[in-house]
Amino acid sequence: MKPDRYDRNHALAAEYVLGTLTGAARRRFETWMLESPRVRRQVWYWERRFQALNGAIPERRPPAALWRKVRGRIDRSGAGFHAWGWPLGGLLAASLVIAVMVFWPAPPAPQHFVGVIQNSQAEPLWVLETRSEDGRRYLSMQGVQVDAPADRRAFELWLLPRSGAAISMGLLPAAGKEQTAALTDEQLQVLRRSRTLAVSLEPAGGSPTGQPTGPVLYQVRMVTL
Amino acid sequence: MSEKFSDMVQLMAQTSRGDLASFERLYSATSPRLYGLCLRMLGNQHEAQDVLQEIYIKVWHHAGEYHPERGSPLTWMVSISRYACMDVLRQRRGHQDVDDLKNQLRSAAMEPQQAALASADEKSLDRCLRELSDEHRASIQLAYFYGLTHDQMARTLGRPLGTVKSWVRRGLDFMRQCLER
Repeated sequence: MKPDRYDRNHALAAEYVLGTLTGAARRRFETWMLESPRVRRQVWYWERRFQALNGAIPERRPPAALWRKVRGRIDRSGAGFHAWGWPLGGLLAASLVIAVMVFWPAPPAPQHFVGVIQNSQAEPLWVLETRSEDGRRYLSMQGVQVDAPADRRAFELWLLPRSGAAISMGLLPAAGKEQTAALTDEQLQVLRRSRTLAVSLEPAGGSPTGQPTGPVLYQVRMVTL
Repeated sequence: MSEKFSDMVQLMAQTSRGDLASFERLYSATSPRLYGLCLRMLGNQHEAQDVLQEIYIKVWHHAGEYHPERGSPLTWMVSISRYACMDVLRQRRGHQDVDDLKNQLRSAAMEPQQAALASADEKSLDRCLRELSDEHRASIQLAYFYGLTHDQMARTLGRPLGTVKSWVRRGLDFMRQCLER
């Protein structure tokens, strides 16, 4: 019996994550997960939701010997070998734009947006997050492992309204650096509605026109969770 | 939470590139949470340590598979851990006595709970759990924290299997509606 209804799938996904889906039914569901991105997303939904339960479990530091065992096994298997690692390079050549923005609904606290801009090799290039300080909202941009663009050019981040002109959020920082931009109420409203940002390649110092002039390399679109 | 998120994403990225120092930091930051979870689910230090070792070997080799749709890196690691512990429980529980289960639940009930529910997600989940009936809440918690199946829950609680299945199903239905309100 293949689940074909959204609600039915959601119920199965919840029981899968909870662990009450067992035996052959669990194995069948795992096959559906492999086949269907939508089913996988439903599982991830419940994994994220139930994560909040773990705060109730007391933390316990494992014995120090355990790290030595893990380390020993890695050393024996060859520390440099990583079949699934994020490969380096390819940043500017990346024509496929892959970026994921994560939004955690946090009522009644102010909405908190977090996003990770990734290239086509799924390397995280920048982490974006909104912050509240002293009643004001900021967008923080942190460089993770981005290579500096050639010819002293710069990466510029744009907030894209549903309609109308792009709004510059400033230049994106290099790897290991952080840049913060204050968010006006209007910009926050745009972010809530469109949930979309883009990265363009601009001359040193940023776009001379106030609008993107170079190629748009990445578009960050929020995933509805 | 937000600072941890960016730090953890960086550690995960560097781990996926084979950076052992970052992996050690990731281990140091997350292992108390994962070990606590495994101890709670397995109720046994020896097994919890064995499973934890396997979890981190998996994280080391699969760090590149993490992506933000799975939540924070910690959420991803917790999910890996829970599924690993469930596998151990499924193998073991065929032989486990109901009285052992009850003892495990009793001893866990004596543990102090962490007081503060820090994040909005935790508060939201807690609110929805509180709105559940006692039976629905208990069935979800028994499954989540101790990996009990429907059948084990029915035997442990001394209630019919169909009743317990219904508690879980209705409890989850309610949770979904409540969390999306």
